[in-house]
Amino acid sequence: MTRLQRMGVWVAGIGITAAALTALTLPTAATNAATNAATPAAEPREAAATGKLLGAGAQQPLKAAASPPANLPANPLVNPASGPAPRPSLNPSPGLSSGPTVPPSSAPAAADTGAVTGAVTGAVTGADTGAVTGAGQRIYERTRPLLLQVRTLLKTQDSQSSVGSGFVVDSSGLLVTNYHVVSQYALQPSRHRLVYASADGKQGALELLAFDVVHDLALLRPVDPAALAGRGAVAIRPEIEPLARGARIYSLGNPLDVGFAVAEGSYNGQVERNFLDTLFFGGSLSAGMSGGPALDDQGRLVGVNVAARRDGEQVSFLVPAAPVSSLIARGRSAKPITSPAWPEIGRQLMQHEAALTQRFIAQPWREAGHPDYRIPVPQETFMRCWGRGSPQAARGLQFERSDCEMTSRIFVNNSLLTGFVTVRHETYDGSRIGALRFADRYSDSFRNEAIGFDERNRTAAQCVEDTVGVGATGATGARGAPKDRRAAALPLKVVVCLRAYKKLEGLHDLTVLVATLDQTQAGVQGRFDAYGVSLASAQRLTQHYLDGFAWTAPKTVSR
Amino acid sequence: MDRPEDRLALIEVLDRDGRCLRALDVLAWPFSIGRALDQHLVLDDDFVAPAHVSLHIDGQGALQLQVGNTVNGVELQGQALAAGAMRPLDTGDGRALDLQLGHTRLRLRLRSQPLAAEQRLPPRASTTLWAPLSIGLALLALTGLGHWINLDPGADITDWLPALVAAPFVVLGWCTLWALLTRLFQQHFQFLRHLRVLLPWLLALSLSAALLPQIAAALAWPLLWRLSDPLQVLLMAGLISQHLLVALPRHPRRVYAGLLSALLGFGALSLTFVHRSADRLSRAPYMSTLPQPAWNWGGAVSGSVLVQELAPLASQLAERVKKAKAEEAANGEEPSD
Repeated sequence: MTRLQRMGVWVAGIGITAAALTALTLPTAATNAATNAATPAAEPREAAATGKLLGAGAQQPLKAAASPPANLPANPLVNPASGPAPRPSLNPSPGLSSGPTVPPSSAPAAADTGAVTGAVTGAVTGADTGAVTGAGQRIYERTRPLLLQVRTLLKTQDSQSSVGSGFVVDSSGLLVTNYHVVSQYALQPSRHRLVYASADGKQGALELLAFDVVHDLALLRPVDPAALAGRGAVAIRPEIEPLARGARIYSLGNPLDVGFAVAEGSYNGQVERNFLDTLFFGGSLSAGMSGGPALDDQGRLVGVNVAARRDGEQVSFLVPAAPVSSLIARGRSAKPITSPAWPEIGRQLMQHEAALTQRFIAQPWREAGHPDYRIPVPQETFMRCWGRGSPQAARGLQFERSDCEMTSRIFVNNSLLTGFVTVRHETYDGSRIGALRFADRYSDSFRNEAIGFDERNRTAAQCVEDTVGVGATGATGARGAPKDRRAAALPLKVVVCLRAYKKLEGLHDLTVLVATLDQTQAGVQGRFDAYGVSLASAQRLTQHYLDGFAWTAPKTVSR
Repeated sequence: MDRPEDRLALIEVLDRDGRCLRALDVLAWPFSIGRALDQHLVLDDDFVAPAHVSLHIDGQGALQLQVGNTVNGVELQGQALAAGAMRPLDTGDGRALDLQLGHTRLRLRLRSQPLAAEQRLPPRASTTLWAPLSIGLALLALTGLGHWINLDPGADITDWLPALVAAPFVVLGWCTLWALLTRLFQQHFQFLRHLRVLLPWLLALSLSAALLPQIAAALAWPLLWRLSDPLQVLLMAGLISQHLLVALPRHPRRVYAGLLSALLGFGALSLTFVHRSADRLSRAPYMSTLPQPAWNWGGAVSGSVLVQELAPLASQLAERVKKAKAEEAANGEEPSD
């Protein structure tokens, strides 16, 4: 099987994964994953989609606690806006750093109007000139000398273990790409090396000067600076000239290692409800274009190609220019990185988690609308929440769930995505099944939570647990007895678990599990996860989450 | 025997299970045993010498065992004696003496030995069926209740079949297998006896499985909750030991020793696996059984108490990370800093 076929299948599979709420910044260097795809390219897309969802190594921090009914819509792709039907299981869409994506020939959008403006087109051959406007041609011609392919090779042989794109950002030959394009080198510099290949066929070794793991950017320099010096640089579009939504922009790169290409699309502003600033590019990005520049019609940098959603059409993402400028300023005169970059990654993640925790805790919880309990649901300023309930006609346990997740995650390596928070709860109503059965189902649901075993990146989780009383009003009726049960504290079973990162000192995954314990036929179970937080943040977040639980305010004073 | 007062000793030839094949009175010393036809006791065993052993009174009046001209020797009370050896035959504790010649086992009882006191039989097992019957019904009720809890209301009658039909069949099948095993070692089938052994243990198993987690949850005592599974294993081992004792009543020590070593081996192995993946001795990371509101006797703490407990947890994890780094360094991997 050729490499291209393999990749095509893989992405065809990924492409449909419905619930891919995706990972804006977490592109995987997909060559390894591509080997998962053993399915023939002609396989029906639906089948491939379900088959590959797991193969892609999708991280699923949330686990269904209630036995989820199986009769869910079979094709959750229909309308991503209506929410991922079965459960918002996040599927990090593949990165653009290398291979896998839909080969142009099999792109489903071919018959679409989108194909006219958005399809990736082989600009080098220029055979398909109808799909590229004159502006695209002009921009490609102007940027051609500044456009590079960045390859990560094994030190001992010439086979590439990851490929992406890059571009020259100053006259001394400095170039920028994504962190995830060079992550293998950054983490294991003794086993890998970096080389560039320019559009005009020049090749040479690269060294890594600096990176920004949070924004997924890296700054590199040719070992022989003369090779790329004097070619000019891609200018950065000044922030004082904001682009209008709908403006044409041109993304350049080397998709699937096929050849340098221009993908034209529209600028659609910031991605909404994202923690990190990310631009929404209405065009097609493919693996291998990661790290390439997205330029305005005057050839100035708008953003850096970073990721794409595979459950929609032409929904792609760019890192904005601001962090690029600051990375260049910071890394310009840095010494090349020659030892594993874990400490620096840890430092950057610490800064990120501190900011995230700060912003998260500053927000008040939202109401969940439960008649008995106040349940913490996060604001949707940088999170998305999906809700789902048991079918109305079910004889068994009735439940409703809410899953809130951050869509931005930070790519560290192929098996570690971090720097995000998820909040989930399930409300249960057992009035149709009685107390005995409810107790059984309720405990089962509490057991059914994955906490995490020992693996390469993280230790096994260790937990503390207790019964916690929250939200006591202290108000008592006559004779000292509570006026109603709500005057006493709401009893919660609470389990708090930590997992330490083995190579990122001081960072942990936090899991808080909560179950209300006051009713025999109804209850709420909640789960809060924070990935990549310090101990202090874990403590603050735990307290913040527990503080979100209480009785609802009594509707009437006397009852 | 007409004149029991003339009997000086009794020699019994045993089969491999220790049952007596034939018994021979000794009326006079010396007494010889061997394959030759001129011996007092003739053994048709190819591994026995023509004159293998002789028993005689020596000058001091003590009974002596003299090993004859044999290549295989003799085993007396488990002790090997070579050709020509001589041993006095008097243990004084009233027990019979065991002799092994070739493939033949002999038991020797001497008139001069004091008789051990009569031993009391184990209490007779009840032969009535009401006890197993009532335990069986209780078990069936428990199984039914468990199944009722698992089913949603309005379940079809066919959903009940697995629990109410399969469970008794499993019990009968289990007892049949043990009865067959017993038949291997003994003459009896002993089906009912195995059923009597099984039912109370099964009741204990079901009750402890159902109640212990609930009690642990009510008391907010995770340790008790974690002990619930090992306790089940122990009860299971107890049950198997009782079955084995029915099958091999003569070897209680071997039964217990075998089971104990199996338990220790299995326990060590599973603990090792759990510890490798979960870094603790229990697979479950937390007590997942939730207490009933009315039974929540553990009391409640403030949330900040748990928050404080995270700090020692984190330092414990930091230790673990240090260990992982040391292991990595020992494996020759790239240092991470």
